Amino acid sequence: MKTAYIMRKEIRESVLTSKGFLWYILTSVILSVLSYLFLTNSELSLLDQGQMLYMIMNFVTALGILIGVVSGSDAIAGEIERGTLEALLLSPASKTEIAAGKLAAALMNWCIIFVISIPYLFVVGKGGQNLLSGIVYLAVLGTLLAVIFSAFSMGLSARIKSMKNSLIVSFLIFLLAGSPIFLSAALRTTWFGRVLDLVNPFADAINTFDSVVVDSQGFSYQTGRIAIICGYAFLSLLFLKRSVSRLEM
Amino acid sequence: MIKSILTAFVIFLATTVNCSTVFAAGRVAVSIDPPSVQANMGDKITYAGAITNNSDKAVNNLIAYISLANVTPGKEAPMDLEDWSANKAVKVDVIPPHGAYEGKWPMRLIDSGSYVAYITVVDKESAAPVTSPVSRLDIKRILRLNPNNVLPTAIGEPVIIGAVFLFIYLKRRNKAI
Repeated sequence: MKTAYIMRKEIRESVLTSKGFLWYILTSVILSVLSYLFLTNSELSLLDQGQMLYMIMNFVTALGILIGVVSGSDAIAGEIERGTLEALLLSPASKTEIAAGKLAAALMNWCIIFVISIPYLFVVGKGGQNLLSGIVYLAVLGTLLAVIFSAFSMGLSARIKSMKNSLIVSFLIFLLAGSPIFLSAALRTTWFGRVLDLVNPFADAINTFDSVVVDSQGFSYQTGRIAIICGYAFLSLLFLKRSVSRLEM
Repeated sequence: MIKSILTAFVIFLATTVNCSTVFAAGRVAVSIDPPSVQANMGDKITYAGAITNNSDKAVNNLIAYISLANVTPGKEAPMDLEDWSANKAVKVDVIPPHGAYEGKWPMRLIDSGSYVAYITVVDKESAAPVTSPVSRLDIKRILRLNPNNVLPTAIGEPVIIGAVFLFIYLKRRNKAI
């Protein structure tokens, strides 16, 4: 109940604001441009619908993570810097409930981005393969990744107590997680590339999207990667819980 | 006199060598179908090539590939078929004596202009490759402004989100007043 109250407060203060809507409008504009470019290009290239759907899914996931990192970094350190954390800690809600409410609000951003992306996914994937299964995987894995990165950056902001620094560290970790994208296909097939792909939750998610949407592989192929992502989600929640329990007035 | 005899001998030798080249090339012939195509950008067409073995011996391990040359005035150049075709070359293991092989080359028309397509067959027994007659290909530029009906979503969704934002903003402002 207290968690729900904090979540509603956070949504009022960060999601349903001009800043929040600016994110969503920008997300929508970027997805519009990308979809249009992909589709007009597909008329003239061998890029198939599945490949385009996969690329849009990667982009939506990265965007969701990015907004989760920013919201997470602001969640605790922002309250400290604004001098409002004391009032929050004096409320009847426990530290865990406060963290859960803030995390739920951060996840709301991901949910809105996912909902915004659905019409684009349908337009881009129309007539292609594995559209519905791709959307289901995006919903599940995108939510897990949003939990991982939001909880981690929230925990970090509770420990570092500086929004700027926690944002920088979280961004660096996000870039590190996204680094397999910058590696060449040849490098990714080496043992180093494979290990990096396997231990990296973001790479696990995009490899799962590739496997489901482009290669039409079933759930049994995805279990290992999904288990790793679930493990990271559990660890990041544990990190958040331990980090907020150290908070003092 | 000696010079004339030598010249005549050289001409004879050259003619003989040339005859054998033509003969070697002549044991395999290749044709391309259709002989001309008019299509739009983005269309998919398929060229068929018939490789015939005119000799009394089987021919083995032929390589056949399709080529495209841009003959649009001012843009004359051979084309890299990277985006045009996923299977540009085929290997033909064996064609029996007086037999034929039918190959197919699907192609996606990426850019507008005038082109010629031709199939080349490389026979390692022969000194020169064999080439089919050219097939003229005219591709008309076509502009698709709304593929997959993307425009209503691409334009509509940011507008709807903006309208929702405006609605919430005005509602809150009126409440505050």
